[in-house]
Order: sequence, then C-alpha cells, then structure tokens
Amino acid sequence: MKYFITAFFICSSILGIAQDKSFLNIGFETNSQWYVNDNRTGKFTAGNALRSNSYLNVNYNYDHFTMQVQFESYAPQALLNFSPNFTSSLNIATFSVNYETDKFNSTLGYFYEQFASGLIFRAYEDRQLGINNAIFGGLLHYKPTSFLSLKGFYGKQRKGFDLSKGHIYGINSIVSISEILKLKNSALSYEFSYVARYQNSVKTNPKFNKTTGAFSNAFHFNKNTFYSNIEYVYKKKDALVKFENVFDNRLFDGNALLFNTGFTYKNFSVDATFRRLENMTFYLNRNVNQNIFNDQRVNYLPSLTKQQDFSLANIYVYQSQPQLAFSPSGKSGEIGYQIDAFYKFKRGTTLGGKYGTQLALNYAIWYGLDAIYDLDNRTYTSKYLSFGAKYFSDLNLEIRKKWSKKLTTLSTFMVIYYNKELLEDNFDQINAWLFLSETSYKLTNLTSIRVKIEHLQTPNDSKNWWSASSEVYYKDISFYVSDLYNYGNTNDAEKIHYYNFGGSYSKNKSRLALNYGRQRGGLLCVGGVCRFVPRTTGYSLNFSTTF
Amino acid sequence: MRQLPALIFTLLLFSATYAQSLPYISLKTLENKGFQIKLLEKEPLVIISFWATWCSNCIYELDEIKELYSDWQKQTGVKIIAVSIDDYRTISRVKPFVKSHQWPYKILLDTNQKLKRALNISNIPEIIILKKGKIVYQHSGYTPGNEDAIFDILIQNIQ
Repeated sequence: MKYFITAFFICSSILGIAQDKSFLNIGFETNSQWYVNDNRTGKFTAGNALRSNSYLNVNYNYDHFTMQVQFESYAPQALLNFSPNFTSSLNIATFSVNYETDKFNSTLGYFYEQFASGLIFRAYEDRQLGINNAIFGGLLHYKPTSFLSLKGFYGKQRKGFDLSKGHIYGINSIVSISEILKLKNSALSYEFSYVARYQNSVKTNPKFNKTTGAFSNAFHFNKNTFYSNIEYVYKKKDALVKFENVFDNRLFDGNALLFNTGFTYKNFSVDATFRRLENMTFYLNRNVNQNIFNDQRVNYLPSLTKQQDFSLANIYVYQSQPQLAFSPSGKSGEIGYQIDAFYKFKRGTTLGGKYGTQLALNYAIWYGLDAIYDLDNRTYTSKYLSFGAKYFSDLNLEIRKKWSKKLTTLSTFMVIYYNKELLEDNFDQINAWLFLSETSYKLTNLTSIRVKIEHLQTPNDSKNWWSASSEVYYKDISFYVSDLYNYGNTNDAEKIHYYNFGGSYSKNKSRLALNYGRQRGGLLCVGGVCRFVPRTTGYSLNFSTTF
Repeated sequence: MRQLPALIFTLLLFSATYAQSLPYISLKTLENKGFQIKLLEKEPLVIISFWATWCSNCIYELDEIKELYSDWQKQTGVKIIAVSIDDYRTISRVKPFVKSHQWPYKILLDTNQKLKRALNISNIPEIIILKKGKIVYQHSGYTPGNEDAIFDILIQNIQ
C-alpha cells in the first residue's frame, strides 16, 4: 500500500506540471467527542472518554484519469456505537484509479456503485452512520451506443480496514427504448441487474448454495411532467439466520416490488410510492444478517417515510422491516405506501400573500405481510397483495410561508402511529401528535434569529415532550441553545432536560462546530438507515475543510 | 494519530501548486439525461449548490436566492446548478418539490454522491462558485444574509 501512495504522489507531481488539465481536491473531516460523567444521564464507563473519527480524502484528476485515496483514523477509539471493525489509529481505508471517457469508465481499487434503486445492490459511504461498504476490485462501465449502457464488477467488500471473506459480482444493463424508437417527447428505459454473493461455509456440504444471486428488472418512464418507475426483484434461496445461527435446513427466497409515480399540474405536484419487501435482507456475510452496525450490507432498503431533521419528530421513527424471523413473533417483510403532495398558493392571492405559500403533505403507512407462520417448524406462507398487522403510519402537513423580506415561518403538524410491540418486540402501541413551529427573522443584513418550538403529545410510552431552540446568526458565526424535555414522563428519573448549546463558524472552505450538552439516545437515522446512539453527555467538535 | 497532522501539512503544501478545476463526472438531470460536469469549465460563472429535500437550511437558501436570481443573471450572467444529494429514500420527491417551489435552477441528481465525494463536501448546504471551472469561492452552511456575500463574489468575478 505504501508503494501505491508513493506512486500516487510521484505521478501526480509529474502530471501536476500540466496544471490546466489536472484537478486536486483534498478534504479533511474530524468528528470528536469528549464524554463526561453526568448525574442525570449516568457515569461514562465505556472505555476512552475522548474519541474521534477523522477522514482525509484526496482526489487527483488528470485528464481522463482519477486517483483517489482516503485515510481514516479512529483514535484513540471510534465514537460510541460505531462498528468495532473501525480500529485503526491511522490507516489507508480506500484507494482507487479510475479512467473515464464518454463511452468507457473503469475503476480498479475501491469503488461505490448502485444498481437501479439499490434494492439488490448499493455500495456507499455515510460517515455519520459509519457505513462504508465500498467494493474492492474492478468495475467496468461501457456505453457502446447512446441507447445502451453496460456495467460489470467483481470484488470483495470493505470491512473496517479489512476485506470480506466472501466475494461479490454483478452486471447491469440499461436500454433506452425511447431512443431506439426515436420517441422525442418521452423517455422509456429498461434496466436489468444481477448481483451474486459467494460465501464459503464452515459447514461441510451445507444444504444451501454457496452463491446467492438476486435479479432486478426495472422500467423507467417519463413524459412531460408525468413519470413512473417500476422494479421487481427476486433473491434466490438462502439459509435462515438468527443471531449468527445459520439454519441450513431452512431455505427461503426473497422478493421485492417497488412502484413509483407522480405528476405536476400547474401549482400542484404529487408523488406516490408503493413497496413490498419479503425476506430481502442481503449481506456479504450471511452470518451477520441484521447486525446492528450495518456491517457488510449488500443492498439498500431505506424506510419510505418523510425524513425529518427536527428533534421530536425523530423519537418514533420507522425503520424498514425487510427481514424474515420466527421469534419472538413471525415476520417476513413489509408492505405499504407513501404519498407526497405539494401545492403552492401563488403570490398575490389571499393565501399566497406577497411571496406565496407552500404546502407539503406526506402520508405514509406500513404493514407487515399477511402471512401464516409455523413458529416451531420455522416455515410460513404469505399472501402477495394483502396487508398484515399495521406497523406504522404518519400524516404530515407542512406550511412554509414567507411573510416579508424579513420574516419566514414553517409550521408542521404530524399524526403518528408506531407499533412498538411489533417493531421493537416490546409492548405498547403509540399514537402521537406533533406540532412544530419555526420562525426566522432577519434583524439586519448580517444578523438574524431563528426560534423553534416543538410539542409531542401521546398518552402512551413515555408520554409528552416539548422542545425549544433558538439560534442567532451573525455573518458566518452562529450560536444556539436548545432543550428537550420529557415533561409527561411518570418516572421522575426520566424527566431529564436534554439541553445543548454551541456554535459554528464557517469561513470559505472550512466549517467548525462546537457543542456541549446531553444526547437523548435512540436511533440516529440518515437516509432511512439508522444507528443506535446511547444516552450521553459531553463536548463535541466537528471540523471539515477542503483544500 | 501523530502522523495525521504531518500528512495534512504535506498535502497542504502539495495542493498549493494546484489550481482547482472540475472532475470528469456525469450526473443525471430530472429528465433522466446525462450531464457532464466538466462542461461547466466553459461557463464564465456558475454556482453549484448541494442540497436535499430533507435539508431545511438548503431550502431556505435556495428559496432566498430564487428571489434574486434574475437580477444576478442580468448583472453577472451567473448560472445556478442545484445538485440534489437525495438518495433512493427521498429521490422521488425531488421533481415535485422543485416544481412546487418553482426553482428556476438546473437540477442534477447525485444519487450515490459521486460529485459530493469528488469535491469532498461534508455538510450541506454547500455553495461553490466557479469561474471557468475554477473554484473561486466555497461556503458550507447557510446563515441568512449569506446571499449578499455570494453576490459580492459574483461581482468581483465578472469580466
């Protein structure tokens, strides 16, 4: 690996002479935490109290060549609840060489890629969640004509600073039907993908196939403001896994159906998605099926609900339920849909006012599959287009209004149903109502203030919450204070003020943020994938820059 | 860990000899057509704004700039490209969202974060101003009033 780095610098120095054709971009990011003892959130006993995750990524581009190397450091330890695979104090995490022209693109080394909607394959990076499932190997992309795209790859998956034992390979082709038929006003394409994972087994003569393949067929259509996509996936039979136990006498296949459509008419737009997943978890190592660190995932199955960046809206958050399980209760997947509607009241109308008013409505509802389970023998039969037990629903209305050059408001109302009993194998079913109001006011050209108030009301679980925050901006500096309080909790020990205060400073290509406070603990979700974070108190520092 | 500052320092020195331009990356438009980022090197003045439908500050910023965009275009000839980093969870919302906010920007989809990674973007919103493909200004985060700073940079960079 040292040779690679040396070669990297020598090559780029030589090529650097011809600067017009070269591009160098270096990014550095560090996220550090100093966990402290707090009599309300508890003593910190989990090893190193000062921890940091740092990333240094170098991209060098010369003409059609790109070289990339990423260093990562988890010193003295990775932040709490990151995968134990992130161990190194400083090491090379990924590196690659890429050659790209209009027709041809090839990568050797680590690469990221996604086929169709990711239902069978997505390799990506998310630093907040500690996901980096880049593939180490080769990727080829060839576009022989304007209507055909072909991709193929082979490799192993990144696992911390190591590689997976199993192998993965796949092909993808996209045919533009509208281009073949020379349709001018619409776009129609067909996409086929196949991905297979090969994993040896410790068992001699296991009853399952060591190679597990998954097929995807998708159509994408687009005409004027109307669009529609459909994808069907079939995953071949593989062994049932529970807590790393591989039941090689219980083999199940999986499948998925995704349908999305939408259109725009004048000020009104609508988008609807239906999805059904049955036994669709797919990992490079079948033994780590459903591990809490999101290690070795092959596909991407986000929950299809509205993603919120407000604090109380993230208490009852839905995670997709693609898995097959026979204990404590039978589960085989999820079925449901999501609808979004947007409407803009025009300027100058009664409801639009001087600057217009935006309405956004989201409704999502998800159920388990309608299936009959034989829990003792671990078998089941499911119905296809039929709804089982209700898992989750969420109705969400958002009004965004600019009143004047200085004043903007955002109001959200949510009705949530969360089946904790089935989703967390716990008890209680939760009905909750959430109200949120955010007001931004520009005091001068350089100074502004934003105040946010949230209230979550529920007769169930830990009862009512409120939250309030205020942020002041001056030029590139901001300061904030916030508090989150479970005032309705019947247990006084749980009535904790989760206060936070801090600030951030952005200058050119750098951003520094400092914070002190209490973290509620629970699920931290990015893009519908979640990581559990524990309840803690401490200081945090985030710094990012590019040069 | 001690090696890290040394490494950064070396890279800093190394990068000082480079003028930054654009990587060779193709992204999809809302009409599902390819768009080559390298082609932006031919444009005199371009703003690339990284955003997502779930990013509240990004929406504040792009809504705010919308009011000023036609003036900016008249005075500086700038073009704005709004690169959505929504992934499959929220990507279907991008098109109706953009229509309902009536954003006049060119929208590109960076679904698997190819461009975001190539330009080392860690937080959104992030604004990059390019003069003939070279980065002349970059800013992460949005604070109200930031659009005035952007306009100043644009004025400084018109020929």
